[in-house]
Amino acid sequence: MNITAYIDPGSGSYLVQMIIAGILAIAFYFKTIWATVKSFFGGKKETPSKDEEKNG
Amino acid sequence: MDKIQKHPASFKDPSGFVFLYEGKYYRQVNQSFKHNYIFLKESGLYNQMVKEKKLIPHIELDENFSNSADWYCTLLPEQITFLSWPYEWCFSQLKDAALLTLSILKEAIQYGMILKDATPFNIQFKNGRPVFIDTLSFEKYDVTQPWVAYRQFTESFIVPLLLSVYQSPEMLKLLQIYPDGIPLSLASKWLPFRSRFNFNVALHIYLQNRVSQKSNRTSAEKPAFSRSKLLNIASNLTSFVSGLKLKKVKTTWNRYYDETVLNQKYVTDKRSIVTGWLKEIPVKTLLDAGTNTGLFAEVAAPYAESVIAIDSDADCIDRLYNHCKQTGNTNILPLMVDICQPTPSTGWRNEERSSFINRCRVDMVFALAIIHHLVIGKNVPLQRVAETLSTLTQYLVIEFVPREDEKVKQMLLARIDIFEGYTESAFESIFSDTFEIVKKEKIALTKRILYLMKHK
Repeated sequence: MNITAYIDPGSGSYLVQMIIAGILAIAFYFKTIWATVKSFFGGKKETPSKDEEKNG
Repeated sequence: MDKIQKHPASFKDPSGFVFLYEGKYYRQVNQSFKHNYIFLKESGLYNQMVKEKKLIPHIELDENFSNSADWYCTLLPEQITFLSWPYEWCFSQLKDAALLTLSILKEAIQYGMILKDATPFNIQFKNGRPVFIDTLSFEKYDVTQPWVAYRQFTESFIVPLLLSVYQSPEMLKLLQIYPDGIPLSLASKWLPFRSRFNFNVALHIYLQNRVSQKSNRTSAEKPAFSRSKLLNIASNLTSFVSGLKLKKVKTTWNRYYDETVLNQKYVTDKRSIVTGWLKEIPVKTLLDAGTNTGLFAEVAAPYAESVIAIDSDADCIDRLYNHCKQTGNTNILPLMVDICQPTPSTGWRNEERSSFINRCRVDMVFALAIIHHLVIGKNVPLQRVAETLSTLTQYLVIEFVPREDEKVKQMLLARIDIFEGYTESAFESIFSDTFEIVKKEKIALTKRILYLMKHK
């Protein structure tokens, strides 16, 4: 963890952010696939939000 | 220049401190923060955030008020009319403060900086919206590191918001006991079992709590983090917080003016009397005590520079805040404060965050239809009510609700009447000890009386 921090980052804070970032990436992957499948079958077009697109 | 008064809460961050000098708040930037401060300005982040009204603007002064060797420069920020604490905010205020923090975080990352802390105490309300006041919270962003303030953000914003949604918005008051954030270990006990099935709650509360309990602080080598990972987390937190909504509830108070009280004529007449008085007396600051959903705070708003509207009912304050946002009423500050139990002084030596009574000095107080709740509902003697109000204000607009009133009769139904001294003449004589009665008018179709009083 960043040792210049003046507040206590909390134990496991680094690890949990790694795990959450991983889970979010996987969730985004499946969301994109689901959106593609839906649009292929002519369902309502659903795209991930702008923020996610930009950062995903 | 040695009469500066260091703010009693400004000691945690070595980057600088806040002090009071000749009635104004200043912020000293220390040498240790110099490079970050210069980067904040030169990167364009400061200008951009001030332009978007997210960060409080300041003037830079080349004067070392504290005479300390650490001094780099002094900032004179735009002053805040009334300082409020997060445990006085309603759900929507804390939610807006959380969204502001996240939006600043994302913007800072684009400019190569990051927030080194994320506490709601970095935010105040100005002109009806939250504004970030801690200019020294920004530091250069190291892309290999995750967000150092993630835990702090979760515990001090997400947890109280979730407890409000899943339990009750009164739980926001827990921030008074846990100003550094409500510990995850407690949150995971207090949140109901069904909250575990919410993807974001599972991730940010239960998973984080589990990892923190099992984690070993000394574990050495870690893989590098990245900018896109951090932005993903920030975006996820934003959509998580944006989606949090309170359940619609009916409390004792939030339909007060719609249902319980009398009729429309009463409200119209009361409004016209109060408006007439406001037109005659110019006031800058006004406190509406027991504002309910803010009907009379809104009546007062065009005639005062700032109106502090307090009520103990979390739902009433939430409605008022959202209503002000919709109508663009920027000079009302709704706060969840109980006049019978006003916010105490808290923090180190009880000095970090001062009590509501210490902060509240106004030109006029509205005490409309609350006297019977104080005297008969809470057994507070009339003398004490008069004394307390006289410490807060110069002018007082107070509504006397006599014993013959339906409301008072209802209140006395189930208890012994120990309130023989609660009469119009006793009320006038007791209040006359500290106030001069300037005007007195009966409200239509009721036996209620409105008084305009001036401090002697």
